[in-house]
Amino acid sequence: MSERVPAACCAVVLTLCAPLAGQIPKLRARADSLLVEWRQAKQFADLQDSLRLGRERGGRDTIRAGSLTYLVNPSPLPLAQAAAIAWPQVERFYGPAAQAFAQRPFLIQAVDPDTNEDVPPGQAIKILWNTDVAPLARALVAMADLGPLDPGLRDWLGGVVVPRFDSGPAHAAVYVQLVTAPSQAAQRCYRGDPTACRDALSLGAMTDPASQWYGPAERRALVLTQYGDFLRRTNHGLAVRSCEQGSNESCLELLRSLAPGALPQPLDYQARLTFLETAVRVGGAETFQRFLATPAGPMGSRLAAAARVSEDSLVGRWRSDVLAARPTPVPLPVWGAWVALGWIVVFGTCGLRSSRWRVS
Amino acid sequence: MFRVVLYGQWKWSRIIVVLGAIAGFALPILSVQGATGDPASALRPGELLGIVQAWGVLYPVLAAALGLLVAIATWAPDHRGRHVQALSLPLPRWRYVLLRFAAGLVLLVPAMLGVLAGAVLASATATLPAGLETYPVALAIRFALALAVAYAVFFAISAGTTRTAGIILGIIGAVIVVQVVASAAGIELDLTSPVQAVVMNWPGPLAIFTGRWMLIDV
Repeated sequence: MSERVPAACCAVVLTLCAPLAGQIPKLRARADSLLVEWRQAKQFADLQDSLRLGRERGGRDTIRAGSLTYLVNPSPLPLAQAAAIAWPQVERFYGPAAQAFAQRPFLIQAVDPDTNEDVPPGQAIKILWNTDVAPLARALVAMADLGPLDPGLRDWLGGVVVPRFDSGPAHAAVYVQLVTAPSQAAQRCYRGDPTACRDALSLGAMTDPASQWYGPAERRALVLTQYGDFLRRTNHGLAVRSCEQGSNESCLELLRSLAPGALPQPLDYQARLTFLETAVRVGGAETFQRFLATPAGPMGSRLAAAARVSEDSLVGRWRSDVLAARPTPVPLPVWGAWVALGWIVVFGTCGLRSSRWRVS
Repeated sequence: MFRVVLYGQWKWSRIIVVLGAIAGFALPILSVQGATGDPASALRPGELLGIVQAWGVLYPVLAAALGLLVAIATWAPDHRGRHVQALSLPLPRWRYVLLRFAAGLVLLVPAMLGVLAGAVLASATATLPAGLETYPVALAIRFALALAVAYAVFFAISAGTTRTAGIILGIIGAVIVVQVVASAAGIELDLTSPVQAVVMNWPGPLAIFTGRWMLIDV
């Protein structure tokens, strides 16, 4: 009896699959024809893009500062002065890797600030031509992003690479994050645990982010406050209830069941950008070039190798930079007290000089 | 003479002074209720800062309200008696006003001490997560200055004539009316923002009221 069952199953499967097997060449032919159609459509789209780009680039001035090249429509926009300010900063950050910008001209559309006409669509970056030199230079620095050269870096960072060194306010913002983030990893990092810093910044292999980033109470709060409705709708009601009643295992399993990347990271883009900045500052001008040459892998070891220091040392340096940038807690300047006393005297004097007894 | 003036003002404004001192004492204590050592009810650092910041809005409100009420109470009996008693005193006006002003300032001291005592007590009893600290003295100094500025402003307005108050209100109203008319006519004229910037930013007279009032911060 037991030998007959598998045989019967095989017979049923073969019977069902026999007509499908006959259709395979037809289906393959249809797939091939679709592939031909797709290739043709792609060729047309590429042609259209190239024609549009050619039209956009036509009649434009070319402005160069170092390896930065800008194609811009004629306008009073002070692009040359701004580019001359931006280039040294870009070069200081990227080092020899900044030469890559020579192959990637920026297309800029200077827009009349007073016009009501629609800005022509296209790939060009739109900038009002009455923008001042300083904000324009800052914008040019922010546009100088070499992140696309390394998809791993871009994924880890979660945004563009901004080649900057003057990130005092950014470090202060990261300080507040370290203290206030509802994450055990961030708080342990603040107290001086380098492993926790690596976890909080996702520098190593994040095999189990739910347990690496968050403690039991934080996981429970995450499940109940952020994902409760979603998890109940997706047939996890029992597990959510169990988590609510204090089961650490249920909370952990629920967070592990979320799609990769769905879990909020304890420290944001700003924190990772400051870490990259620390690596470049420690490693010098050629750090970025060396980083691009390192093989793919965990970001911490790649950045440490590029900066030519150990990962612990780099993390320690970043942490001290952040702690040194602690924001001023009470927004009352020292001279503010004297100013306030001055106003008390001024208003008091106004009262003394009032004409109440002369005119009632 | 000062003691007589002070005693008179105390009689007129003692309820305001006592209530102000109680409110000032209670405010810092209420604001740190989430900072406990009990893990079941302790707030996380971000939440705790949010609560402290929300309560912090009440410090400038309390300072402004107390300054207004004490300043009004300082002058109300004089206004009611048409200043006959003041005119009968063998004193020049400036000295009489100075006595009134100083007595009013002294009556604000209980509220200032209330905030200081409440803030110190709240700081001593709060259990804070790593990275957060308390600033009771800085908060109390700021409250004291804001209270004194509010009192001085309203004292000056109350000391003036109805005509003076009318002129001040008329100027403020004119600025608002011009702004509204300009906006309606589509004219790019922004009067309120510069005025606001001058008054509310340092070294403006009301800058002490602006910003975050935090007993606990990073």
